[in-house]
Amino acid sequence: MSDPQRPGLLRPTVFVAALVLFASVSPARGQTDPRDIIERIDRLLRGDSSRALATMEVVTEHWERQMTMEIWSLGTDYTLVRLRAPAKEAGTATLMAKDNIWNYLPKVDRTIKIPSSMMGGAWMGSHFTNDDLVQESQMIDVYDVAVAFDGERDGVMVWELRLTPKPEAAVVWGHLEFLVRQDDHVPLWAKYYDEDGELARTMEYSEFREFGGRLVPAVMNMQPADKPGERTTIRYEELEFDIDVDPSFFSLRTLQRGR
Amino acid sequence: MRSPAPVRTFGGLKLSFAESPWLHIGWRNLGRNRKRTVLTALGLAVGFFAVVFIVGWSQGIMVEMVENATSLVNGQIEIHAADYRPERSLYDTIGGRAGTDVDALLRTIDADPSVVAAAPRVYAGGLISTGQATLAGMFMGIDPERELTLSRFLDPLVEGRMPEPGRNELLIGEEMARQLSARLDDELVVVASGADGSMANDLFTLVGVFRTGLAELDGSFAVMPLGDLQTLLVLAPSRIHEIAVATTDPWIAETTAAGLDDVLSSSDRAIEIVPWTTLNPAMVDYVALGEAMYFLIIIVVFSIAIFGVANTMVMATYERRREFAVMLALGATPRAVGTVVLHEAVALGVVSLVLGAVMTFPLMVWFHTAPPDMSWAIGDVTIMGALLSPSLRVEYDVPFWIVSAMALFVTTILASLLPAWRAARVPPADTLSGL
Repeated sequence: MSDPQRPGLLRPTVFVAALVLFASVSPARGQTDPRDIIERIDRLLRGDSSRALATMEVVTEHWERQMTMEIWSLGTDYTLVRLRAPAKEAGTATLMAKDNIWNYLPKVDRTIKIPSSMMGGAWMGSHFTNDDLVQESQMIDVYDVAVAFDGERDGVMVWELRLTPKPEAAVVWGHLEFLVRQDDHVPLWAKYYDEDGELARTMEYSEFREFGGRLVPAVMNMQPADKPGERTTIRYEELEFDIDVDPSFFSLRTLQRGR
Repeated sequence: MRSPAPVRTFGGLKLSFAESPWLHIGWRNLGRNRKRTVLTALGLAVGFFAVVFIVGWSQGIMVEMVENATSLVNGQIEIHAADYRPERSLYDTIGGRAGTDVDALLRTIDADPSVVAAAPRVYAGGLISTGQATLAGMFMGIDPERELTLSRFLDPLVEGRMPEPGRNELLIGEEMARQLSARLDDELVVVASGADGSMANDLFTLVGVFRTGLAELDGSFAVMPLGDLQTLLVLAPSRIHEIAVATTDPWIAETTAAGLDDVLSSSDRAIEIVPWTTLNPAMVDYVALGEAMYFLIIIVVFSIAIFGVANTMVMATYERRREFAVMLALGATPRAVGTVVLHEAVALGVVSLVLGAVMTFPLMVWFHTAPPDMSWAIGDVTIMGALLSPSLRVEYDVPFWIVSAMALFVTTILASLLPAWRAARVPPADTLSGL
């Protein structure tokens, strides 16, 4: 979570990733304006709430570990993640509210707010950074979207969308690329490029399943480009939408309650 | 000088001071206009003082800079796993994943006669928090006993005491304590990435606060016993990141490092032994630049002095044109007349040097042994990551003093070359006839 040697990379969230998944909801066939696609993703997420049970597998050069976590979210402002396994760290929880992140550490029974200087640090030892977990702006506000490719690839009709930061946008990426399947608007992968145009990391979406009536990729696999062989894989075991939760749930009290 | 050898011929050229009549004559000539002589000699003496003192002070700064860069925290030599630098990854411990026999390694290093101290260290980045405030920090695991023999930053502490191993106690820098509003005996949460990927966290008790004067260290370093940090990070006791080594003199670090390399590299550990001169080449360059500057200072100061001396000598010889004319008329060679003038210059040099030494050395001793504390005027200064105390300590450098003394004589001789040449060419008949 706090390895300062890991470069601060990203803005869009794990759960933005998750957001992107939700893009798949009720695609409007024939809709080809890329801005609309991206905008719908964001709009769908605002005001949307969810609860998920997921496993996160992290593989690095030095170790491999698997965690089980329960995730609650409300819009893009609030997310609460609580580890259920491994036993040693069960109860460890992260609360993201607006731009802030707090970690609850059950071993010492303390809550720590992540200082802004550490927002680029790895979250829970994964290849996601703390920054990834807090997403404040809509992608459509931050990026210009263009269709880089429209046609058949590997027998599937796809769009390749290129997202370029607007001049005034404070983002760490040079540009992003999304590959979106045309018939159901499901994202297949996202590539993150740094300011020099070098690939920094790749997120792959796979195993599309119906959760709560929505088609969602159950597996997200993040691979840093500079560390071949390393990856973080998140797999949704359970996922439900429009749960009964309000902003007061995403409080330090809930964080420390350790349900 | 008091009992000159009998004057033989004017044409003889003897440079032996004890026997030379010329030096005697030169000395006596200086007495003709004492006020002028003293003023000229004072000019040269102040020049000598300026050169020796400025250079002594500059060397004092250099010595303190190197001293602080190498003994405040770092040590003169650092020993790491070969691939530790520059990433300084948690996993690149000496001996790799298996670690190394730390005690045996330390014994081998201690056996080197030029090694004063050696201390093992473990480093990790992470968070440190009081609950209310959280900062990113660098954790440094130390062997308290060994560390105190090597680095100076933990002795004395601003407040508190050294941490005791096995009790989860730590020290933090003064600036960090201020930012965290932490007090002694507070429990601080320490969070880091464990070597097994876990989010390592534990409570540590704040038992002391240190101050290096370097904002970066005082604001971000937390120091705890090595074993406690290893436990937190899930690192085996055999896994350390660094052994810092102190040598008897910073300038032998390279030689010592090469010697240690011969002894330690015979084993199968892939290690890197780096002297501070490699870690901080800019500082080495800075010191070399300073040394080049010293000679520039000599040249500048004595270049100014040379005109004053030349003026005096021109006046002194012009006044004595009749005397030189008599000497020449009596059969002295022009060369002998020139020699008289040159010896007068040498005698002036001797007087100046004595004056300069009387002026310089008591002050040098004072500024070396009890340098005035200038902290009322200026705060701590940091140059190239090394802290300088605001004192005016000077260093002794005997070879440089000798060079400065020689420069003083060269100045007087150069300044009297023209007057000597003109004295030798005085036309006897015209001069004596009153022209």
